[in-house]
Amino acid sequence: MSVREAVARWRGWLARRRDREQDLERELRAHLDLEAEEREAAGASPEEARQAALRVLGSPVLVKERVRESWGWTWLDRLQQDLRLALRQLRRSPGFTAAAIVTLALGLGANTAIFTLINRVLLSPLPVSRPSELYSLGDNRNCCVATGIQDNFTLVSSTVYEQLRDHTPEFSQLAAFESQVNLYSFRRSGAAAAPEPARGEFVSGNYFAMFGVRPAAGRLLAAADDRAGAPPAAVMSYRCWAERYARDPAVVGRSFALEGLPVTVVGVAPPGFFGDTLRTDPPDLWLPTAAELQLHGEASLRRHPEEFWLYVVGRLRPGMRPAPVAAHIATQVRQWLFAHAAPTARERAEIARMGVELHPAAGGVGLLRDTYGAGLGVLMAVSGLLLLIGCANVANLLLARATAARQQTAVRVALGAGRGRLIRQTLTEGVLLALLGGAAGLAVALAATRLMLALAFRGAGYVPIDPNPSLPALAFGFALALLTGVVFSATPAWLASRVHPAEPLRGAGRSTREGAALPQRSLLVVQAALSLVLLVGAGLLRESLGRLENQRFGFETRNRLMLDVDLTLGDSTPERLRALYQALTRRLTRIPGVASASLALYSPFEGVNWSDAICIEGIPGRIPARDNERAPSIDRVSPHYFETVGTRLLRGRAIDERDTPASHHVAVINETFARKYFPNRDPLGRHMGLGSDPRHATDYEIVGIVEDAKYTNARVPAWATEFIPLLQDQVYDEPVMINMQTRSNVVRSIQLRLAGPLDVQAAVRHALAEIDPDASVLGAVSFDERVRRAFNADRLIARLTELYGLLALVLASVGLYGVTAYTVARRTAEIGIRVALGAAPWNVVLMVLRGALAPIALGLAIGIPAALAAGWALASRLFGVEPYEPHIFLVALLALAGAAFAAAVVPALRTTVIDPIRALRAE
Amino acid sequence: MAKPPASSSSSPDRLELLQGTLDMLILRTLVFGPAHGHQVAAHIQRTSAEVLQVEHGSLYPALHRLERKGWIAASWETAKDRNRQFKYYRLTAAGRRQLVAEESKWQQLAAAIARVMGTAS
Repeated sequence: MSVREAVARWRGWLARRRDREQDLERELRAHLDLEAEEREAAGASPEEARQAALRVLGSPVLVKERVRESWGWTWLDRLQQDLRLALRQLRRSPGFTAAAIVTLALGLGANTAIFTLINRVLLSPLPVSRPSELYSLGDNRNCCVATGIQDNFTLVSSTVYEQLRDHTPEFSQLAAFESQVNLYSFRRSGAAAAPEPARGEFVSGNYFAMFGVRPAAGRLLAAADDRAGAPPAAVMSYRCWAERYARDPAVVGRSFALEGLPVTVVGVAPPGFFGDTLRTDPPDLWLPTAAELQLHGEASLRRHPEEFWLYVVGRLRPGMRPAPVAAHIATQVRQWLFAHAAPTARERAEIARMGVELHPAAGGVGLLRDTYGAGLGVLMAVSGLLLLIGCANVANLLLARATAARQQTAVRVALGAGRGRLIRQTLTEGVLLALLGGAAGLAVALAATRLMLALAFRGAGYVPIDPNPSLPALAFGFALALLTGVVFSATPAWLASRVHPAEPLRGAGRSTREGAALPQRSLLVVQAALSLVLLVGAGLLRESLGRLENQRFGFETRNRLMLDVDLTLGDSTPERLRALYQALTRRLTRIPGVASASLALYSPFEGVNWSDAICIEGIPGRIPARDNERAPSIDRVSPHYFETVGTRLLRGRAIDERDTPASHHVAVINETFARKYFPNRDPLGRHMGLGSDPRHATDYEIVGIVEDAKYTNARVPAWATEFIPLLQDQVYDEPVMINMQTRSNVVRSIQLRLAGPLDVQAAVRHALAEIDPDASVLGAVSFDERVRRAFNADRLIARLTELYGLLALVLASVGLYGVTAYTVARRTAEIGIRVALGAAPWNVVLMVLRGALAPIALGLAIGIPAALAAGWALASRLFGVEPYEPHIFLVALLALAGAAFAAAVVPALRTTVIDPIRALRAE
Repeated sequence: MAKPPASSSSSPDRLELLQGTLDMLILRTLVFGPAHGHQVAAHIQRTSAEVLQVEHGSLYPALHRLERKGWIAASWETAKDRNRQFKYYRLTAAGRRQLVAEESKWQQLAAAIARVMGTAS
């Protein structure tokens, strides 16, 4: 049946229904007229006759109702009537309706927004064909380069990947890709265009074929592109193509320079495709790993079979189960490691123990998922609480109105309205309200999702998450609104069905026990308890965020500029690098306003860490001794590095101009390093080296100790770290060590300490171009901002919870105010009598206050253990705050109590102006 | 419940109709020709010598129920004695068959009850 047909049918049905109604009305009228006429003829007065006729027939409303029942189809009919009546009721009290809709819109909107994010981030599959067939190797998302043995086998080398690809026929396609996305300078070849940073990811040739996506223009990568020596090709993302090149078809086939390497853009990926991982700032370019070989030359990762730098995702053939396939892969991996890694007996045991698993990868290899998964759960719980509080509020408003309408309800019951009908009526009204609130909530959700994305991904250029609610999110919102409507109108509906026709008529509003009925008080208790939970949660998260952000990091963030640079090191001989680095620091220091400048492999909160095994003179064996222990971090820095980032020197000396490639090789360690590896000895003057070869244990002399500084994770104590000067190199036998050393001398990070809050970016770019015309600044950000971005997820959760806590406070206050004001209004006559009998005004005020605040006090008492439980559940997210932090509980309790007192005292004071005479006359 | 009594003066010599018999009585009444609701009620009352009391409130739902079942049909016609239209109900063929079935069922029932009551007294 088409929509038009359905509408026509519906119209026809409505018309027939209308005819029948008129028909019935006419039939009954004819009956009554006839009956009255007969009685008049028998001698009754016209008025008496009419009354008698009505009496004999009974309630015409009820008769009609029963006739309708005999027609069938009545539920539709009733629904229509109920809806019409509900709309009329809502129109009659616009203030109530507006308050209820706004409350529900906030609650439902918040929930829909969070669910939208959950759906997009946690539940949505990758935009590729048949994503459920995709499986990834391992789930150890350790970035970025590792050597062979991992507790959960995840990273592979190019050689191992090729072996697996060619010998695992259970996969129709098995692709590999870099575990991270890097920034590169990128510009059109030949043109004088300034280089622009582009994010690139190296992938295997069958990457796009594995995902089963089609190009938007040109072609995607093929196996031939990934053979060593193939002309470097690149696939551009649709977004990059659209935003930077205005979808210029001539981009396809054009040659570009990627850090000086000529590459040809062969095609454009389909719109919406963001690669293998849902992440902020996804790749602009996908390049075959063969291009990595040409780009990095000697330092290439693909060249070395022991450099494990690729993730593996494959498409299982239909009917294949992941477990046996994983076992097959495990056999191959172990054989390869035994054969190529020359393991010791202990390492052999570790290789045998190593976990090799396949994980479903329909949603990609999750990054946002890992970062935001738990946080989104917290937010869902928090917005659920807000909705519950909103529900309690609306239920209370409905109850107050239902009580006010008791007389009307009683009259309806007296006229023959069935109980079921009354319940249905109230439910219909509630659900209608909730649906209206849900519709308004959609607007709230649209705004809220955008706000949350902006908060969550502060500093990100592009977030591949559509903020508009998807179909599941809309369905979720609709179902939630329906459920909400039923929940908050259940109590009023039940109460309405218990109205006795005679009772309110008799009582005439003068009974004293009718203060706020039990259900209303109970709802206040619930609201107070839930609000306390929310406020305490907000307080804990706020405090935790404050302590995270304002802790002593071990560096100074004020007036510092951090640059991410690409120095296009075509020629990376140590001699050239030394000259370049020296010239660069000298030139940067000359910029007015720059107090000091330094270079480093990486700086704090850059998202980079290099950990490796080391050996220390006097300590036998490698460090760490066990594989499950964290290896110390290593950084390579220029002179003045510590003063530039603001890390204090505790003992000895810092790395300075004396430390050249030719001079005595030195190292500076942090406190944790000193404590951990030299527990009872003075580290100064001792020696250490990189790698596990004991012959290198005397390579670097420890000359200084600096304070601990957090580089990666602000929640845990600083890791043991050693700093060695740039370009103070060693001669190694193992290719992996040589490769690593070469790569570690390439500076990607410049730090500037400024004399004040100055903007020196233009001068810095200018200075950089002067030293190296091909160099480009890939990113520049103040140290303050960089660190702040590290707390995006915490900030999102803390700020939203604060907002929700505030809303809860407002809702609870409004609810209490409404109930108290209503109670006072209901009891005007009773209070009039009390005053007339000589009650002191203050006693009356106290009586009202007591009545209003008693449920709040009870709610708070119940809320304290509930908030403790909530705090305990949050404990893993808290930093430096105990879940039972007394002052947070105190502040939350005081805030709620204060708001409740303010909300109750206004209507309570109103009793003092009640004039007993007028109050008694009013009824 | 708030269902008001059908008649304000239910005297002891008037009997309320047995459940389910109203349909049969309506069908029976219509055997004599088309009638509107008021006439049906009056006819039943009159022919039962004012013993059977038809609740007007139940009459119309019953008429509409029978119409829906197809045992009676309705049309608006002008009354002969008044210049006014009434909704007249008439028996259909299906209605006639139903009446026969109900009558025989009723007679069996009445006879059975009479036998029981006869032995008891």
